[in-house]
Amino acid sequence: MKRWGDGAEDRKESLRRFYEANIQLGYDMFRSWRIYRRSFLAVVGLLLVLFVSTISFFADEIAVEHPYRNLQDTEDLWSIDYEPRRAHPFSEECDWHEQSISLTTLRRNNEMSVVAESDEKVGSDNRYYRDTLTVIEFIELNDDIGYSMNMSLLSIDPNNASIIHVSQELFDNMSHSTVWITYEFDNSDMHVEWMPEGYQRCIFGTNNQGQDMFSKVLYGSRVSLKIGITVAMLTVTIGTIVGSISGYFGGRTDEVIMRICDIFFAVPGLILAMAFVTAMSGIESFTMPVSFMILFPLFFLAFIFRSYSVSTFTSLDETIESLKNSKFSLNWLLAVLAVLLVFEKITGMSSSWHRLFDYSESQNWRLLVSMLVIVAVTLLAVADKKFIQNTSFTGAGQRLSDSMDWTNPWKYLTLRTALIFLAAWILWDFSGTSGDEIVIIKDFDRLWKIQAALIFTGWPGYARLIRGQVLYVKEMTFVEAARSVGAPSGRIMFRHILPNAWAPLMVAFTLDIGGTILSASGLSFIGLGAAPGTAEWGILVSESRQFFLDDPHLMLFPGLAIAATTLGFNLLGDGLRDVVDPKNRR
Amino acid sequence: MKLHEFIVRRLILLIPVMVGVAIFTFTIAHIIPADPAAAQCGDKCGVVVDWDDELNEPITAYDANRERLGLNEPVWEQFRLYILHLSQGDWGESITYHRPVSDVVKDAAPITLEMSFLALFIAYPLGIMLGIVSAVRQDKMFDHLSRFLAITFVSLPIFWFAMLLQLYLATGPENSGICDPIFGTEGGCFPIYGRHDPGFTYPEDGFVWFYPEGGTGFHLVDSWFVSDSKLSTLPDEWGSRWLLFKDTLLHLALPCIALGISSAGGLLRYMRASLLEVLNEDYVRTARAKGLAEWRVVIVHACRNALVPIVTILGFSIGGAIGGAVLTETIFSFNGMGRVAIKSIQYLDFNVIMGVTLITSMIFLLSNLIVDIAYAIVDPRVRLE
Repeated sequence: MKRWGDGAEDRKESLRRFYEANIQLGYDMFRSWRIYRRSFLAVVGLLLVLFVSTISFFADEIAVEHPYRNLQDTEDLWSIDYEPRRAHPFSEECDWHEQSISLTTLRRNNEMSVVAESDEKVGSDNRYYRDTLTVIEFIELNDDIGYSMNMSLLSIDPNNASIIHVSQELFDNMSHSTVWITYEFDNSDMHVEWMPEGYQRCIFGTNNQGQDMFSKVLYGSRVSLKIGITVAMLTVTIGTIVGSISGYFGGRTDEVIMRICDIFFAVPGLILAMAFVTAMSGIESFTMPVSFMILFPLFFLAFIFRSYSVSTFTSLDETIESLKNSKFSLNWLLAVLAVLLVFEKITGMSSSWHRLFDYSESQNWRLLVSMLVIVAVTLLAVADKKFIQNTSFTGAGQRLSDSMDWTNPWKYLTLRTALIFLAAWILWDFSGTSGDEIVIIKDFDRLWKIQAALIFTGWPGYARLIRGQVLYVKEMTFVEAARSVGAPSGRIMFRHILPNAWAPLMVAFTLDIGGTILSASGLSFIGLGAAPGTAEWGILVSESRQFFLDDPHLMLFPGLAIAATTLGFNLLGDGLRDVVDPKNRR
Repeated sequence: MKLHEFIVRRLILLIPVMVGVAIFTFTIAHIIPADPAAAQCGDKCGVVVDWDDELNEPITAYDANRERLGLNEPVWEQFRLYILHLSQGDWGESITYHRPVSDVVKDAAPITLEMSFLALFIAYPLGIMLGIVSAVRQDKMFDHLSRFLAITFVSLPIFWFAMLLQLYLATGPENSGICDPIFGTEGGCFPIYGRHDPGFTYPEDGFVWFYPEGGTGFHLVDSWFVSDSKLSTLPDEWGSRWLLFKDTLLHLALPCIALGISSAGGLLRYMRASLLEVLNEDYVRTARAKGLAEWRVVIVHACRNALVPIVTILGFSIGGAIGGAVLTETIFSFNGMGRVAIKSIQYLDFNVIMGVTLITSMIFLLSNLIVDIAYAIVDPRVRLE
């Protein structure tokens, strides 16, 4: 067992490497920036992307109201009281409020005054509430058929500007049961403060539900960026794995994968995505039976065994030969297989599964048990390598502590560690538990459905791109060298080929974020994406369709936001293409 | 490899893809949370239609439907039947349209195709010409401007751009319109939506509804070539044919601009890159050294070769245009495949969904095949792969 002090040299070395890598990274970034800033448009694109990211991050601070105000049905209570107005940008109607006064109720209660109230708002606790309003001025008074009446029939209470008094004349006039009052109220806390004086009223106007478009467009950036980045990241991951397998192994694997890609290419993207969204319309959450957990140790075992055997022996035949020769190892393998079979047998039946793990319904317990199984199997597998080599058995713990150098934590300060933690965090964030199933995505809502559809339709493009790149890099000398020293395929693929093939990938990734935002908003527009009423740009444009000839502001701003964001990512991608272009590396 | 060998090879390669698409649509239809048997009988599913003597049970309409649609068979048997029916032209019955799917698709496909083809017809000359000028004036003001425009066009959401066109070109000054009616339409210069003017009639004949039956379904073609008894009796037959044609074309203008503009942007960039590469070649230098005029060098020597890779994009842009047509059809109220698809998705009319997916992929594959063959004819090196 190593002691902490033994690793001092290693720690120093690792730390030095870490610093060096950082300095190198800084230098690379500086050089890339010098190439990047040559193009004015690329800088504009970067600024656009930064701008959109910033406003989506600070939407809570910038927005003047909650984007889902007055969304849920409150018909029973309030719908007759409030007639939402589609106010144009900068118009004073934003500060107007229309409210009905039921004279019948007043007469019944023998009251002469009403309180001016706002329509519903959503508080920070996501509950609806109503404000009393400070009335500044009466604009209009109508009877219930819409004829205007003399405004002197009402008056504002001199002591409390929220209370409207009904005059005796109106109170006694039995021919009126309801009157409608439009008044200007003190709306200054909803004004956009950074605008110059006189222009502070709802700068993007309000929609047909009286909601502030500025806030809706602001919050829409969150949805769009989330969809764009999630989809682009997942498509890149899937496409990279499939494409590099296809390119690296070639032959029949390549043929099959490319034919599958052809099938995906054969259907136009938007129609394919529509079909996928429809197919998934019945799925509420993305789950997996618990018994699938057995697959993890199995895959893990297979992976470890394969990589070790490949690194030890040059061919499969030789591996099998040596397995035959070493009786001990074969027995061990058989024992492992038997244990696995028993495990499978138990987990195959749900009742037995319950008997085995019924101590607690909690997901953590199950995860723990599965992890233990994985660890046990791994230890067996690691130890097994020794048996294959017919060398002395030094113990699984020894092997593990050798491979995991606990005395030198700096060794793990790499991008890979960060990525592993990120993946674990994302998985943890989205997953949950429900009875006998592992829930991978808790709430598989409409947003997730378009994301899934776009991922399904998007990965073949990346697979093809990466395949071409891998085919090109594969022929280079350093890959030959790695293969000649007997590095396993996985290692060659991920450590030697992919780092040299990532440049076009990064460009495609950036361009894809823009493309995804476009297609997602298109899907939302035709009613297959986000739910109606969501603050999503495509939905906002589609909801404006029935009014857009009279009120173009309803479609202008969300559409402009889509175009600007997509343009930003496209320009950014073009700029990055110049940076990674070998012609520019001087 | 000879040309005909190449064609045969490509045709053979098409078969697995077609089967794959069929498997795909079949899977989709099985995942969709709707029961085809229940959908067909509607609220009469419980009606007893027969008696099962063996089990001594009543057979309801629902059971009969399940039996008839083969839903009680194993999956592979169902798939065999599905392929069999497809090959026989039986694509099932639509629930929403109450017609065979093949009829629905046959009516809708020409509308989408007409729009897509016309859009590409606008996009290609525009994109290629701007691309040539851009490449020739590399790094000049025009180049920067047109590249920026190109990338902006690619970034514009089609549906939003289409609505902007409607807003500014298809409405009068009382809304936001910026152009006067110049083509005899009401409102702005272009009709705002629809495939035809609803008030359109044959001249001097007050009541005839507009389009002659039959024909290809491509109304731009039909307006000239379909013979119609009504049309031929009119005194000014060619005049009315011209009116029909003009009406169709005007209605197609805005959707095609909206659809074509993003393709044009992409094409400009491809063309520019491709031409810039060719302009560095030796034979272009030779041509210049011979003392040829610059336009002759660019147009005759360089463009010919630069256009070859552009041909390959044609196949993909047809797919893109058909996909984009879903959006323009929604906005301009064309009853093409896109709207049919959206409607069928709303009502979970899976037969239509499958039909539309199949037919679009078939069109796409076919156009790609034609493009590939054309490519092989233009550039014989391709056949050697």
